[in-house]
Amino acid sequence: MFKFFIKTCFLVVFVSTSAQQRNDSIPSDSIVYKTNYGLRLGIDISKPIRSLLQDYNSGLEIVGDYRISKKWYAAAELGNEKFTSNEDFTNSTSKGSYIKIGLNYNSYNNWLDMNNEIFIGFRYGFATFEQTLNSYQINTSNPLLPAQINTTPSTENGLTAHWSELLVGFRAEIYTNIFISFSGSYKIMVSITDPVNFKTHYAPGFNRVYTSNTGFGFNYTISYLIPFRKK
Amino acid sequence: MKKYYLFLSLIALLISSCEKDDFCIEPITPNMIVRFYNATNISDTKAVNDLTINISNLDSIYTNVSLDSVVIPLDVTNNQIIYNFSSGSNLDILTIDYEIEEVFVSRSCGFKAIFNNVTITSDVSNDWIIGLTETLENTITIPTINDESAAHVQIFH
Repeated sequence: MFKFFIKTCFLVVFVSTSAQQRNDSIPSDSIVYKTNYGLRLGIDISKPIRSLLQDYNSGLEIVGDYRISKKWYAAAELGNEKFTSNEDFTNSTSKGSYIKIGLNYNSYNNWLDMNNEIFIGFRYGFATFEQTLNSYQINTSNPLLPAQINTTPSTENGLTAHWSELLVGFRAEIYTNIFISFSGSYKIMVSITDPVNFKTHYAPGFNRVYTSNTGFGFNYTISYLIPFRKK
Repeated sequence: MKKYYLFLSLIALLISSCEKDDFCIEPITPNMIVRFYNATNISDTKAVNDLTINISNLDSIYTNVSLDSVVIPLDVTNNQIIYNFSSGSNLDILTIDYEIEEVFVSRSCGFKAIFNNVTITSDVSNDWIIGLTETLENTITIPTINDESAAHVQIFH
């Protein structure tokens, strides 16, 4: 606690009006609490947790941000994912890597030297991936002559996706320089390549591609701040 | 208040991401539509009495009905299907040969089949079916069956 006070600095501003008459000057002491600036690195722990569920295969996402001012952070995510979309008539697996780059704005006014955030952010996302149609059944709606399930897989490589993303989240410093964060995002596809005579059902980083070319995502991250300086 | 709105919008995002946004409403694999015409006056439709349609060893699609048009499925696992068309005790056999093209429709509908170079051949016995064309020939080829917007085949009897 003592160390805490040493580290803070005091700025006292005196206001004097005239040389002849001395007024009672009020020392308006504004204490500036410094917080750490630096590179924060972490991982998305929701992906390993979701891997335990049936609907998700595997994924790894490394998150990082760099504080550029009191309120603004430059942020990026880098990841790799494999996901199987099991639909009524098709089963397909998407596999690939993605990167997201953007900014976070912290709208939360911290107490003292606390370092928590309620942030909104914007990202540009890019993914390169492949999609394999594992199996499918022609949709005939006819019980008399049912279609067979075709299980010959076909893979289309070199698919890409570009999207923009808006996100909202919370971040809390649980120990010195260790943060946990939860955020949700809304994604709008800018451009995506579909396999020939098929459709991209899932793009890594974008998640499920909805009919309107939008998507949703959430992140639960744990990260460590490498402090460069205090400001 | 600001925090409150942020929290609400986050919850809204979570809820909306769980919605199923797709139900299969697009047309899927088309059936073949057959219309029955009067062989002596080829521009008039003519209902078939006691019409029974079935595929060998399978349940009947129509049994003892009186209709001037029928909808019959084609087999997407084969390039041929043989139908028994009977009117009362008169039986005619229709052999339908085709090529299958698989076309992706949507996430919820999956793939549909469309049928190209469809050749329909009626057996020569002419028990009740007299012809498949306006010149009353026993065979006809249709370039494609890709929707159900109109009749594909005319049967004159």
